[in-house]
Amino acid sequence: MKLELGIIKISDIQFAAESKVEGSTLYVNKDEVKALILEDETFASCELDIARPGESVRIAPVKDVIEPRVKVSGEGGVFPGWMAKVKTVGSGRTNVLKGAAVVTTGKIVGFQEGIIDMCGEGAQYTPFSQLNNLVLCLEPVEGTLQHAYEKAVRLAGLKTATYLGKLAKDIEAEEIRTYETPSITEGIKLYPDLPRVGYVLMLQSQGLLHDTYVYGVDAKQSLTTMIYPTETMDGAIISGNCVSACDKNTTYHHLNNPVIEDLYARHGKDLNFVGVIITNENVYLADKERSSDWSAKLCEYLGLDGAIISQEGFGNPDTDLIMNCKKIEAKGVKTVIITDEYAGQDGASQSLADADIAANACVTGGNANTVIHLPKMDKVIGHIEYVDKIAGGWSGSLQEDGSIIAELQVITGATNEMGFNKFSAR
Amino acid sequence: MVKEIERAGIPVVHMCTVVPISLTVGANRIVPTVAIPHPLGNPALSKEEEHDLRKKLVGRALKALETPVDGQTVFEE
Repeated sequence: MKLELGIIKISDIQFAAESKVEGSTLYVNKDEVKALILEDETFASCELDIARPGESVRIAPVKDVIEPRVKVSGEGGVFPGWMAKVKTVGSGRTNVLKGAAVVTTGKIVGFQEGIIDMCGEGAQYTPFSQLNNLVLCLEPVEGTLQHAYEKAVRLAGLKTATYLGKLAKDIEAEEIRTYETPSITEGIKLYPDLPRVGYVLMLQSQGLLHDTYVYGVDAKQSLTTMIYPTETMDGAIISGNCVSACDKNTTYHHLNNPVIEDLYARHGKDLNFVGVIITNENVYLADKERSSDWSAKLCEYLGLDGAIISQEGFGNPDTDLIMNCKKIEAKGVKTVIITDEYAGQDGASQSLADADIAANACVTGGNANTVIHLPKMDKVIGHIEYVDKIAGGWSGSLQEDGSIIAELQVITGATNEMGFNKFSAR
Repeated sequence: MVKEIERAGIPVVHMCTVVPISLTVGANRIVPTVAIPHPLGNPALSKEEEHDLRKKLVGRALKALETPVDGQTVFEE
């Protein structure tokens, strides 16, 4: 399967009378987007705002971040199962509005959404401070249940990203990036001497608004399965997560998975990137056993020499991670795990809830309990009062002067376990 | 907590869903429970069935507490 990404660089978003992409500016007709979103009767109101890199702006509570993309050629449409019919994606060409994103906010769960600061210390911890963000503030009609609100916000984000993506359908991109995965047999013939490496992508699926969807399917209801890496670039996997902000995979992460990106960069050079195994993180022990059994079985079946395993979230998913690691290693397949740590504010506590001797190669996204100080911002988009309740915050986190003292956990994407973050010991 | 209470000489039964974590942290008597969001209940059951389930689980925990163990033991059904 072969996919070309047409990169259209966006360096600014402006509200305008006509929605269009001109040069590197994305113009947005506010009323058109609003009308589109308010088609959903779940919403009482929808406000649009723009947050640009370097501006003194704080966005909270952030639910999802989505990159606008559009299919130019090839089967299906972006976000299959949601914004397009269910049809296998990942081939042909897709245009990407690189540098732009849709950010959704709403007080859905409140304590399980995050913060994006566009400047200052906080901006250094989130990759989304570098994007031109079209922010949607979505309020539900009174009496809307949380799960209905979550779904509506999720769809509003996808809808808006799809609307923006379509503006770039006919643009000839200056930069084209090509990604190709051959069939298993072709891969063996092409690279007989290269180590066969797979990627085990763990998806948050604990339920109760901790959900990820694959082609519209709730991941907790699926067995571990396989996906072409390019399918993820067309939005085959989307986030429905209201969970600790620092290590949840937003839809933006799934579209731009750095593990996939890096494995492709080395594909055919010093390794053979065989494919992606997607597995879940459910709340029943039997599910955890079954799903990790299947991960290991698929690694064996594919004849992998090595596998990279990335986790999403923390706590009991640490067990899914360790089960995957242990069982895959037991099949004779070397593993590297990517996780993050909850080692206490002083960094002295045990980092993961579970451990095993097989997990002897580990990459960390950082200690989510690290205490950070965020300066006051001139403008807040969303609802700032949730900072005292947000995971990683505490009563008093929001200071009288508008600054924040809290754990790194509060920042969207700060300790991302795909490695899509900026935290480094270097 | 399990280990600290046992260190004080009081035997402990750890009722939990993720048995592997309980094994990793070093609990000696482990009773597996239903699911992480509802360890001692099951919203899919009727009130009566759920009552039975809870009674059974607590009964199993009390039995585990009375049972001498040589090392880490999981008390399955």
